[in-house]
Amino acid sequence: MGYRISVDTGGTFTDIVCGAPDGTVTVSKAPTTPARIFEGVNEALTYAAEEIGISYRDLLAQTDVLTYGTTRATNAVITGNTARTGFLTTRGFRDVLVFREGGKLEPFNLRQEYPDPYVPRRLTYELDERTMADGSIAEPLHEAQVREVLAELEAAEVEAIGVCLLWSIVNGEHEAAVGALIEELLPGMPYTLSHRLNPIIREYRRASAAAIDASLKPLMQEHFRGLQQDLVDAGLGGQLFIVTSVGGIAEVDDIIERPLYSVNSGPAMAPVAGKVAARPVEDLVVCDTGGTSFDVSVVRDGYISFTRETWLNEIFTGHITGLSSVDVHNVGAGGGSIAWIDPGGLLRVGPQSAGAVPGPVCYGRGGESPTVTDSALVLGYIDPEYFLGGRLAIDVDAAREAIDRVIATPLEMSVERAAWSILAVWNEHMVTAIRDITIDQGIDPRESLLVSGGGAGGLTIARIAAELGCDRVLVPSTAPVLSAWGGLYANIVTEFTANLPMVTNAFDYNTVNTMLGGLDSDMDAFFERLGIADEGRSKEVFVEARYPYQVWELDVPLTTSRFNSAEDVGALAEAFHGVHERVFAVKEPDKEVECVHWKARATAALAQAALPAARAGQNGDPRVAHRRTWWGDDKGLDARIYMGAELAPDTQLDGPAIVELPMTTIVVYPDWSLEVTSSGDFLLIRNGTAD
Amino acid sequence: MTQTATPSLATDPVLLAVFANRLDSICREMQNTLLRSARSSMINVARDFSCSIVTAGNELLVSAEGLPVHVLGSQFLSEAMCELHADLAEGDAFLHNDVYLGNSHGGDHCILVPVFFKGEHVFTTVAKAHQADIGNALPTTYAPFARDVYEEGALIFPCVRIQKEYEDVPDIIRMCRRRIRIPEQWYGDYLAGVGAARIGERRLKELCAERGVESVRSLIQEWFDYGERRMVAALKTMPAGSFAGAATNDPYPGLPDGVEIRGTTTIDPDEGRVVVDLTDNADNYPGGLNLSRACSTAAAMIGVLNSIDPDVPHNEGSYRRITVLLREGCIVGIPEFPHSCSMATTNFADRVQGLTQTAFAELGDGYGAAEGNMGLSPAIGMIAGEDPENGRPYITQVFYGSGGGPASPIADGWPTYQLPACAGVIHKDSVELSEQRYPIRIYEESLVADGEGAGRQRGGLGSRVAFGPIRGNMISTYALDGHENPPRGVRGGTNGSPQQVWKLNVDGTREEIDRIGALDLDSGEAIVTMTSSGGGYGDPLDRDPELVREDVSEGWISPERAESVYGVVVSQSPTGVELDAQATDQARRARRAS
Repeated sequence: MGYRISVDTGGTFTDIVCGAPDGTVTVSKAPTTPARIFEGVNEALTYAAEEIGISYRDLLAQTDVLTYGTTRATNAVITGNTARTGFLTTRGFRDVLVFREGGKLEPFNLRQEYPDPYVPRRLTYELDERTMADGSIAEPLHEAQVREVLAELEAAEVEAIGVCLLWSIVNGEHEAAVGALIEELLPGMPYTLSHRLNPIIREYRRASAAAIDASLKPLMQEHFRGLQQDLVDAGLGGQLFIVTSVGGIAEVDDIIERPLYSVNSGPAMAPVAGKVAARPVEDLVVCDTGGTSFDVSVVRDGYISFTRETWLNEIFTGHITGLSSVDVHNVGAGGGSIAWIDPGGLLRVGPQSAGAVPGPVCYGRGGESPTVTDSALVLGYIDPEYFLGGRLAIDVDAAREAIDRVIATPLEMSVERAAWSILAVWNEHMVTAIRDITIDQGIDPRESLLVSGGGAGGLTIARIAAELGCDRVLVPSTAPVLSAWGGLYANIVTEFTANLPMVTNAFDYNTVNTMLGGLDSDMDAFFERLGIADEGRSKEVFVEARYPYQVWELDVPLTTSRFNSAEDVGALAEAFHGVHERVFAVKEPDKEVECVHWKARATAALAQAALPAARAGQNGDPRVAHRRTWWGDDKGLDARIYMGAELAPDTQLDGPAIVELPMTTIVVYPDWSLEVTSSGDFLLIRNGTAD
Repeated sequence: MTQTATPSLATDPVLLAVFANRLDSICREMQNTLLRSARSSMINVARDFSCSIVTAGNELLVSAEGLPVHVLGSQFLSEAMCELHADLAEGDAFLHNDVYLGNSHGGDHCILVPVFFKGEHVFTTVAKAHQADIGNALPTTYAPFARDVYEEGALIFPCVRIQKEYEDVPDIIRMCRRRIRIPEQWYGDYLAGVGAARIGERRLKELCAERGVESVRSLIQEWFDYGERRMVAALKTMPAGSFAGAATNDPYPGLPDGVEIRGTTTIDPDEGRVVVDLTDNADNYPGGLNLSRACSTAAAMIGVLNSIDPDVPHNEGSYRRITVLLREGCIVGIPEFPHSCSMATTNFADRVQGLTQTAFAELGDGYGAAEGNMGLSPAIGMIAGEDPENGRPYITQVFYGSGGGPASPIADGWPTYQLPACAGVIHKDSVELSEQRYPIRIYEESLVADGEGAGRQRGGLGSRVAFGPIRGNMISTYALDGHENPPRGVRGGTNGSPQQVWKLNVDGTREEIDRIGALDLDSGEAIVTMTSSGGGYGDPLDRDPELVREDVSEGWISPERAESVYGVVVSQSPTGVELDAQATDQARRARRAS
C-alpha cells in the first residue's frame, strides 16, 4: 500500500494532507493559484515531500489515491461565474426559478431587493407539453416547438441547458425526448435533465438542481480534466477522485456528468474527519472555524446527518441544490468581524468585517474598527511575536486603543473586559448555528462531543461549548486542515433512490422486496464497475418516511434487507415513531407510516490512509513560557504557554493556559483542563464534569 | 450547566445578547417542530403558522420570523388564559380560537402552554396554526358571507383546557374529531401544535434552571427596555406629522358601496411615539369581514413596523411606543358578539395596514411604503371536494403564485409578497405536491408583465394563476379585494394593477364570475386569478434607466411601457436589450417639461 493524499483548495490556501502507509500524517499549505490550480497543489506537494523526506516524483508515484476537494463550484454559483445557461420548463411555469418556494426571513424589511432567478428569464423557455401526476400525458411534447426553442437558445449563444418538466419523476419521456433533440441539434452542448440528476418531487427544487448542474458542466469539466491531466503528467501513480457533498468521493468521469455534487463539498469532509478523530464514534458536533466563515455539521449514531435543504446564499431567497447531502450550517463570522455599539447601547459583532484589507486594527494597515482578532490579541490569547508565523508585525497598542475608544469607554468598562465581551458576542453567531443544526437533526449538544477544527477554532471553542452546555471538545492535531484531513479517509459513496410509496398498514411485501432487490443490484453493479472486493463493500438502505398528510420525511435506517413478516414491518414503524419523537417531541404510536423514497447508499472502501498512529512520548519538559492573559474580569492572570507539538500523550494541564500549534492556538479557559490523547489530539474538558 | 453567580445585567451587555439569542433559538425550535410534523399543506408547505413566547405578565417576548398578523396579538391570547383559568397548572395546554378573547380569526387554532418553574408561571408558549378546517358551515375557514358566528358555524374554543397533566382531555378531542372535516388531518396538526408548545416549554424550563428565574425576569425587562430604546431612537430620526388616511374597500355583499376604512397616524419623534387611531370607523356589520381586536391591532402595527428600521427588536419593549386606538363594536376595532370575524386576517386588515404605511410616506421621501396586493383571491383561497377515485374528501387553503409587494423608498416590491398579513414570509405550494394530493391541475402560475405600479421603485409584479379539478367537483372559496380600488402608489408612484378573477370553461371560453364567492367547478373547468401588483414609490421618470432596461430585457415590462411610463428608450439588438441614453434623456426632459 502506498500514500494517500488529500487536497483541499480554498479561495486563499491549498491544504494538503499526506497519509503514509505507517500512519504518519504530513500537512502542508501553499497559496491557491486560481488560474491553474495544479501550481498551488504542486507547491504544497513539494513541501510535503520534503518533510516526509522523499522526492516529489516518488511521492506522487507511490500515491494510490489522491482526493481533491474544491470550493470552485460553490464560488462559481455564488458569484454567478458559470456558463451562460438556458432553461426549459413546462408551459405555464416559466417563473418557477423566480418564485422559488416563496418565503423570506425578515417580515418587516421592505428594503431588500428581490434576488434574481438562477437563470435569467430571458433565457427561460416554456415547452408545450404536460405530464400529469399519474404519469399520463395530458399534452404531448411538440417536437417542432422544441426545435424552434433550441434554435433560439443557440442564437442566444447559451453554453449549457437545464431541463425540468413537471412530473418527469413519474414519466421521464418528455425530458428524455428533449435531451435527444439537444444532442441532435446542438451536439456537444452540455445539458442536464432534472429526473436523471435528482428524481425528487417539488418542481422548484428539481429545476434549481438541473439549472445549477448544467451551468457548472463546462467549467467543472475543464477544471477536473485539466487537473487530472496535470497530475498524470506529473507522474501520479494512482487515481484522482473528487470530493462530493454526500461526504464521499467520486471518480472524475462521474462527477463531470453531475458537477452539482461538488457544490458545498469541502465542508462535507469535516464530519468524516470528526468520525475518524472521535473513535469510538459517538454523537458529534463538528465545527470548522476558518478565517471568514464557520461551518458546522453533526454525526448521530455513527451516521453523518444529511439534508435536502442546502441553499447557496440566503435560505429561501438564494438557490437550493435540492440534493440529499451532508447537512452543513454556515455563518460568515470570521476573525475580521467588527465590533460596534448599536443605538440601543448593545454590543454587536458583525456582520461587517474588516476582511483582509484593511484588516484588523493590529495589522496596522489602516483598520480603525476593533475586530475579533484585535480582541484575542489584547486578551493575550495570540502571541504578537509569532502572529502568522511572525511574518506580520503586530501593533497591540493600536488594537487596545481601538477597543477602548469604540467599546470600552462608551460601555464604561476596562479594555480587557470589552475584548472579552466582544469574543462572547462573536461566539453567539456560532452558538446559534450549532443550535439550529442540532434542532433540525434532533440532537442534544449537551450529550455530544464537540470536534473543533479550523485555524480560528481553538480561540473560543471552549466558551462556545460552555454556552451550549457541552463539557468536552476534541481538537484534532490536524485541526487547521480538518476538511483536507477528512479526505484521507473518504470512500467512494453513491446513492440510488427508488420512489415507491408504501403504507405500513397495507404493506406489499413482494413489491417492496423486488424494489429492494433492484437497489441491491444497482449497488452491486456499482461495486463491480469499480472492482471493489467484498470486504470493501458496504450497503446502507434508508427509507424516507412520514405520517399520512405530512410532507417532510425523516430518514429511518432499515435494519432488515427484506421484509418477510409483520414483525419486520412493525419494527420499521417502531423505528419511525422513535425518530419522530426524538426530532419533534411527539409521536403517534398507532398511526400507519407512509414510506416515500427508498435510498440506498453504497460505500466502496478504497485503500484508506492508516488511522493516525499513536504518537511517541516526548522526552523532557515541553518549553513553557508565560504571558499575561485576561478572562472576563479586570485582573489579569499569568497563563502558561505550551508548544503543543512538544506535549507528550497523556499530558494533562489546567487552565488558564495557551497551547500554540503551527497554524492555530488552543485556549484553555480557567475552568477547563486539557488532555493530550494517545494519538496526539487535544481534549478540552470542563472541570468537574469528567467521567 | 453549573449555577454560578450571574453578573448584574445592567452592566453586562454580553449576557443580554446571549439571552436574546437563546430565546430566538427556542422559538425557532418550536417553529421547526410545527412545520415538519404538521399534516396539512397550509402548515407544512405554506407555513401559515407562527410560534411565540409571551411572559407570564402577557408581554410578547419573542416571535422569530412568524407571520406578522399572527404574532402581533399573542399577548391577548395569554391574557385570556390567565383571566379564565385561576387554576392554571403545570401540564395544562389550551386550545384557543375565540376572536372575542383575543384571537385573530376562528381559522387559527392556538395552542397555549403555561410554562411553570418551581411552581411559578413564568412564560406562556403559543403555537398558532391556520387549520384546513374548523367545522364551519361551509367547507372553508374563510366565510365572507356569514352574517354572524352562527352562520359561520365553527366550533369556538374560548381558551379551553385541552391537556391536563400532559395528557389530552379526551372530551375536547372527541368534539373536534366529530365536527372538523378530515379529523385525522386536524388531529395531526393539533399534535404538531402541542409538540411545538411543549418543546418551547421544555427549553424555557432549562433556561430558568440555568440562569435562575429572577435573573431571567430581569433579563427580560432589560431586553424590553433595550427594544424600547431602539424604537425611540428609530422614531427620533423621523419628521413629525399626523396624517389622516382612508381607503375604500371593494363592494361586498352586505356592503354594496364598499366601505371606507379610516385611520389617523401620528408620528411624534420628540416623544418617540406612534399613535394609530382607528376609532373613526363604521360599526360592525352582518358579514364575515369584521376585524378582531388582534387583527385590527396587528394590521396597524405592521404598517408602522414596515416603516421602521427592521433591526429594531420586535417585542413588547419596542411595541410600548406604538399605540393603536380601537373602539368597541367597530368593523376595524373590537368586535361585538356575535358579529363574524371570519376574514379578519385579510381584506379590511390589508386596508388598515396600507393606510398606515402610506401615512408614513407622507412624511417625505425615504419614509413609509406603497400598498401591496390585498384580499383573499382564489389563488390563495380554499378548495374542497371529494376525490371520486377513492371517495376521500379534501379541504385546504392553497397558495399558488403570489401577490405583488409594495415598493419602498429604496427597493422594488417583491413578487412573492402575497398579502400584508404574511408579508412574504408565507411560502407557496408546490405544484407537484398539490397535484399528488388533490384531484387538481394547476394550469399556470406566472408573473404578469406590464402591470406593475410604476415608480422610482416599482411595485412587485402580480401573478396569473389558473387551476381546477381533474376529477369530480371542487368548491373554490374566495373574497377578492383591490379590483375597484387597487393597491396605491405613493409620492408619484402609480397604483398597482386591479385584481381580477374569471372562470375558464371546458371549451376555453371566459366567463365572468362574482369577485367574492364559493364557486363550484366541474372537472376540466378552471378558475383564473390575476393578483394585483404592488404600488410604486416615487416618480417613474426618476427610475434608474438601467433598471428599466433590465426590466425590459427580462420581459417584466414592454419597450412601449418603458417609453410611455418611464421615459426610457431602449432598442433590441441580437445580443439583448440596449439603453439609448441620449433618447432617454430627451424623452425624460420633454416629459418633465410638460
